[in-house]
Amino acid sequence: MATNSYLFCGVDIGSTMTKVVIIDIDGEICSRVVGPTGAEHRRLANKVMEEALEQANLSFDAISYVISTGYGRINVPFADRQITELTCHAKGVASLFPSVRTAIDIGGQDAKGLKISNGRLVDFVMNDKCAAGTGRFLEVLADTLELRVEDLGSISLKSTNKVRISSICTIFAQQEVISRLSDGIAIEDVVAGLHDAIASRVVRMTRRLNIEPDVVLTGGVAKNVGVVSAVKEHAGCELLVPHDPLLSGALGAALLGKELTAEALAKGEPIQRKERRLKEATFFT
Amino acid sequence: MAEKGLAKAKEIYKDRTHRVKELKTEGKKIIGYLCIYPVLEIITALDLVPYRILGDMREPITKADACLPTVVCPFLRSVVDLGLKGRYDFLDGVVMAHICDVGEKTAHIWDDYINPPYSFFIDTPHTVHKAAQAEHKELLKDFKKSLELFTGKELSSERLKEAIQVYNQQRTLVRQLYDLRKIDPPLISGIETLQVMVALASIPVEEGNALLEQIISELKERKDGPPKKAARLLVWGAIIDDVALIEMIESLEANVVMDDTCVGTRCYFPDVELTDDPLDGLAYRYLVDLQCPRTFKEAAFSEMKKDYMADLGARFGYLRDYAKEWNVNGVILQSVKYCDVHGYEVPGLKDYLDSIGLPSTYLEHDYSEGSLAPLRTRVQGFLEVIS
Repeated sequence: MATNSYLFCGVDIGSTMTKVVIIDIDGEICSRVVGPTGAEHRRLANKVMEEALEQANLSFDAISYVISTGYGRINVPFADRQITELTCHAKGVASLFPSVRTAIDIGGQDAKGLKISNGRLVDFVMNDKCAAGTGRFLEVLADTLELRVEDLGSISLKSTNKVRISSICTIFAQQEVISRLSDGIAIEDVVAGLHDAIASRVVRMTRRLNIEPDVVLTGGVAKNVGVVSAVKEHAGCELLVPHDPLLSGALGAALLGKELTAEALAKGEPIQRKERRLKEATFFT
Repeated sequence: MAEKGLAKAKEIYKDRTHRVKELKTEGKKIIGYLCIYPVLEIITALDLVPYRILGDMREPITKADACLPTVVCPFLRSVVDLGLKGRYDFLDGVVMAHICDVGEKTAHIWDDYINPPYSFFIDTPHTVHKAAQAEHKELLKDFKKSLELFTGKELSSERLKEAIQVYNQQRTLVRQLYDLRKIDPPLISGIETLQVMVALASIPVEEGNALLEQIISELKERKDGPPKKAARLLVWGAIIDDVALIEMIESLEANVVMDDTCVGTRCYFPDVELTDDPLDGLAYRYLVDLQCPRTFKEAAFSEMKKDYMADLGARFGYLRDYAKEWNVNGVILQSVKYCDVHGYEVPGLKDYLDSIGLPSTYLEHDYSEGSLAPLRTRVQGFLEVIS
């Protein structure tokens, strides 16, 4: 295989969405696909992968190295290696914003604070096993409010007097929201209050790392403009948000695949590949 | 497994009560003890068999919530739960201490709800100054008297000194076993070490010593030990009495080569000095030498308190020595949820480890096997950061 035909793929299997990025030897993105992870955990991950290959008109065998990451990274039969989403996000974010020192990632089921120095992950914090302060919190509450989760951001912008949601527990917040609505508070003020609750929780957690600029916000929740502005307010600094905030983990995984391959080639060592098959990922160990 | 001693330790670990129940049918009396503060030499010297009360992180807590709040140490909740479910009904008595506030409640709940034939509570002081040491000796005198009354025997100084020697021999052997972890790769895994430590807490001390001798001599010839891995970790913190957490860590690119936990170095490393009055040596060792943040050692270094880093050095310097001798390149700080004594120690300890350039990460878990899976990402992420 000629060096210029090397291709690297990152598969980020999150609790809600699976993200696939394929890059070439120059780090240029050839393909990117986001699809649902599926109710049965990672069963659909291979479908997202197939779609990404199709988009770039590539065969699976054409990919030189595949790295899986994310919540569902462990038993992925079509990956050569698994690396945590912590390291992959840091790599991806640093490639998009080389000046980054702190990254906050709010995903479907967890929230992470990352400390990055010279493009490398040096420390991190993660939320406990609790949905508060994550995308799931917004999904549950959007459902309570009979709104679509993707509309929350624009609705919250209409708020003039955001309400304070004191509960950090998703279930109690649901009760609090219902009682606020019955008090006659406008829905946009309630939504803005929910964004504020998430932002406050995530920023407080990340403060343990000492938030230094530049600060980058990623993850599916970064698509919500209401949360972005609330995080900005709580962090007290400007935020950088990638064009596609879901993809930084998958991009980082692909870039790490490229780095590992380059290291192996430089040392004249074989690339440590697994016998991979493009089939359904199995359940957790 | 070629190592018969390790296989035997694993068997005892899996069926902890087997040996003491056998001894019971032979007429021996079994005394349960909680944590590392009850003085085992006194129990053994009176021909009783001490048996450490542990929790069970694989058994859901269903009964303990009736008498302990849910927002306290889940290890002690598990202990109380097992007691209420009759898991420890074979014990002829229990000895508990003022290990922490919830530990104290556990002792009294045990008395009220489980009501064993014999029980004693050592109100162990939480500081180490001279008056506390003197008080501790008085408490041990009371404990000795109470057990003499229970057994109808008088305990001589000589008999107590003999018991101290047998325990010191166990401590020497454990340190020798730990020496085999200094090698890279270690000759014994973290999982196996924990199994041996739990086994020692489940059988009479002489049998434990024989087991250790067998294990050490077999390990010196070992060819199929743990594989070499990039990370050599020290695990610090609250009790670990189940292999699940160590198993998770060792399933990744890491060997656990050292610990600072109470089914490990904290309980088995410090010797007892053989003093003229054996209670002097015992009172000192079981208060001052035992390493657990439930005791405020700061009192011993009062002048240093003005200098934060010197104070940290005095409190945690032993960890630097462990890290150096065992060639440790990362520290996992772990605690069960709601453990104030360990939780409050973490910020200072982290500062100390940062100051000596030893990377660390802090994990909190709720003492249930299922809760460990989400921690895997954190441990793996930590290993990626330090690699």
